[in-house]
Amino acid sequence: MVDTATISQMAHLGAGIAIGFGAVGAGLGIGFATKGLMDAVSRQPEVAGKAFGFFLLGAALSEACALYAFVIAFMLLGK
Amino acid sequence: MEHWIYIFNIAGHAISLNLDTIFTMWFAMAAVIIFALIATRHLDLIPGKLQAVSESVMKFFYGTLDTMIEHENRQHVPLVASLFLFIVTANLMGQLPLRIINLKHGGELASPTNDINLTAAMAIIVLIYYVFMGIRAKGAKFFLHEFSFTGIVMALVEILEMITRPLSLAIRLFANIFAGEILVSIALGGLAYFLPLPIMLFEILVAFIQATVFMMLTIAYIGSATGNEH
Repeated sequence: MVDTATISQMAHLGAGIAIGFGAVGAGLGIGFATKGLMDAVSRQPEVAGKAFGFFLLGAALSEACALYAFVIAFMLLGK
Repeated sequence: MEHWIYIFNIAGHAISLNLDTIFTMWFAMAAVIIFALIATRHLDLIPGKLQAVSESVMKFFYGTLDTMIEHENRQHVPLVASLFLFIVTANLMGQLPLRIINLKHGGELASPTNDINLTAAMAIIVLIYYVFMGIRAKGAKFFLHEFSFTGIVMALVEILEMITRPLSLAIRLFANIFAGEILVSIALGGLAYFLPLPIMLFEILVAFIQATVFMMLTIAYIGSATGNEH
């Protein structure tokens, strides 16, 4: 039998691990998106405005993955 | 973060309502409806200031639909435009200082999209809409593909997507707004009144980006449901 204090501590540990790994993926995603934007703008400076719109969209989509991890972490914090 | 929950019984089932979310949601809806009524009141061939602004907003929806769905795209404008306008208004409401109004029963007057029930409801509306449009465009072929191994796998994957698509739509919008509020409250604990300001400015950007993402994904789902695969 595991007492509730240990479960709570383990849940807090799990929350930290969850948001950490989620942030790794989202950071990689936004980094690749920025790389793509820089490549596109340095090759064709005239598409900068259009490319920035797509960049924001892609960055928001990959940032959402970190936020899924955030939701899980927040649910674990409540345990 | 905690809501003002009202519980009542219907035939033995306890049903709980988050009354603060409902209140702020009606506030956002009323803002959108009143803006639409005022903007369409004195329409003229030579547009005034307000009409020029609202025409450019509508042109944004038409342009986005034209680039993502090939034909018969104008019929989706009511859903897409009202989703976008409502989400923008709802997200921006979180930056208004409504939280200083102290509710007696708990809860706070923040952005209504920080409640997952609201975003899940919108995602389910999108799901029902695109399934309906797909059935109307393709009939039973919307569910069934050609009778081969890849066809069966595709059909199973698409049935799985009916669960994962609304789930990701709902959680994406909810988590962005919710994480923004948590971030602001943590910054408020760090250095009060000054550190939250840049984060709140960033939240205004996030409000527009998330509404755009929700609208774009809705259009993409409708387009993939109604369009031809070949």
